[in-house]
Amino acid sequence: MEGYVTAVNVTDLQSAVMRVGSLAVSARLLERGIEPVFQISCRDRNRLALQSDLLSAWAFGVENVLCITGDHPVLGDHTEAKPVYDLDSVQLLKAADMLNQGKDMTGHSLESSPDFFLGAVVTPSADPVEPQIIKMKKKINAGAAFFQTQAVYEPDKFEQFMNKIQSFNVPVIAGIVLLKSAAMARFMNSNVAGINVPQTIIQELEETSKEDRRHKTVEITARIIRDIKPFCQGIHIMPLGWNELVPEIIEQACLN
Amino acid sequence: MHATIQKPVEEILGYFKPGERVFIVGCDNCAAKCHSGGIPETEEMAGRLKSRGVDVIGWCVPQPKGVSLCKLANTARVLQEEYGKETGQADSFLVLACGQGFHTVMDATGGSMVHPGCDTIFGGETVSDTFITEYCSLCGECIVEYTGGLCPVTLCAKSLLNGPCGGAKDGKCEVDKTRDCGWQLIYERLKALGRLEELSAYKEPKNYSRWSRPRSLTIGEGEVTFKSLSGEHTVASHD
Repeated sequence: MEGYVTAVNVTDLQSAVMRVGSLAVSARLLERGIEPVFQISCRDRNRLALQSDLLSAWAFGVENVLCITGDHPVLGDHTEAKPVYDLDSVQLLKAADMLNQGKDMTGHSLESSPDFFLGAVVTPSADPVEPQIIKMKKKINAGAAFFQTQAVYEPDKFEQFMNKIQSFNVPVIAGIVLLKSAAMARFMNSNVAGINVPQTIIQELEETSKEDRRHKTVEITARIIRDIKPFCQGIHIMPLGWNELVPEIIEQACLN
Repeated sequence: MHATIQKPVEEILGYFKPGERVFIVGCDNCAAKCHSGGIPETEEMAGRLKSRGVDVIGWCVPQPKGVSLCKLANTARVLQEEYGKETGQADSFLVLACGQGFHTVMDATGGSMVHPGCDTIFGGETVSDTFITEYCSLCGECIVEYTGGLCPVTLCAKSLLNGPCGGAKDGKCEVDKTRDCGWQLIYERLKALGRLEELSAYKEPKNYSRWSRPRSLTIGEGEVTFKSLSGEHTVASHD
């Protein structure tokens, strides 16, 4: 993927499933000269651990931080775990922004301060969208300098959303999850919040033979990217294992 | 009110040593409303345990009608005086009430062995005779003035203070498709009240030291003092 992507998102126990942490993976990516977007969620750590892990990330050279709430533990594989959520995502952004200004949450001065590029998430197709937009504004006030979105499949609706937040004047990186099959699209529609794959795309996938499916996935993804590109400042491709398709998608979407 | 639910009788049976003489105590307030320790349930439990070979030497639900078991003076009087003969012979007590009532029986019986017959599950509103639900988490720092009267600490699965996460679908929470998103309820209520601007204000992180356990309240003359890990906090009831 070298030469194709600018940065790689490193998720923080996504879907609340236990695995290696995003801090270690971000640090290993940096060793290989790959720029990480270090995701840090509020689910598993209190304010002491969150601030400390942010400073640890900076010690490893991590600059991009995406502050997120995190999926609830009952959605994952350790369903009896205690959910932490000591801070919410807005408060985490504010804490990280204070670290940037050389202070921790209690106002104590740091010996040296980080200089994180802070990001946050927003769900453009939430219904109603107004609470999302109000919270987005709060995130900006708290220090968010860029946004990543939940997967976008409806360019028209995404354009409407971007028009609503035009005055915020903040870069938005639109998300897109590779659709591997019609069944996967249907599953996401009924189970994943903020995702709506239009029926026309599901039909396209349905009418594609198994051998042509990867080709179709590339075509659909590239088409959506071309359609939404004029309204946003970046694209976040979530390949879910089909990583080898990413360069072709980027070429077809004329992103390079 | 403190909502409770009875433990399975098999679990309760496992508490008792052979030959242990047991006195059962219920509560005529919350546990009665929850049908976990009122007069009918306490009498029923006595029968269920007796039929399984437990030496139940008596039972009571302290009166007057509707009184809480957690009122120590009343519970001590009832157990020591009204039922003094039976309780004097008891090796242990089984309490069909909340954890506070449970401890009250320990205090009322001079530190006797007490067994919990219920799980204490939440503090709730008695919406009807058949439905009790939770609107408050007893956090020690009420913020519902700014959320249309609906508590996000309780109604949001993640207790978020600054608005919804992205996990709601069709107004339902990501943790349970049958449960309303707390922040959607707050948004709709604030909108209906014409107070949507409340949503825009940044909410500071909670002071969780006010939610430390155990906490206490001391009632003085014209003032009360709340004690938690955030310190002692005294409020006067007059100017």
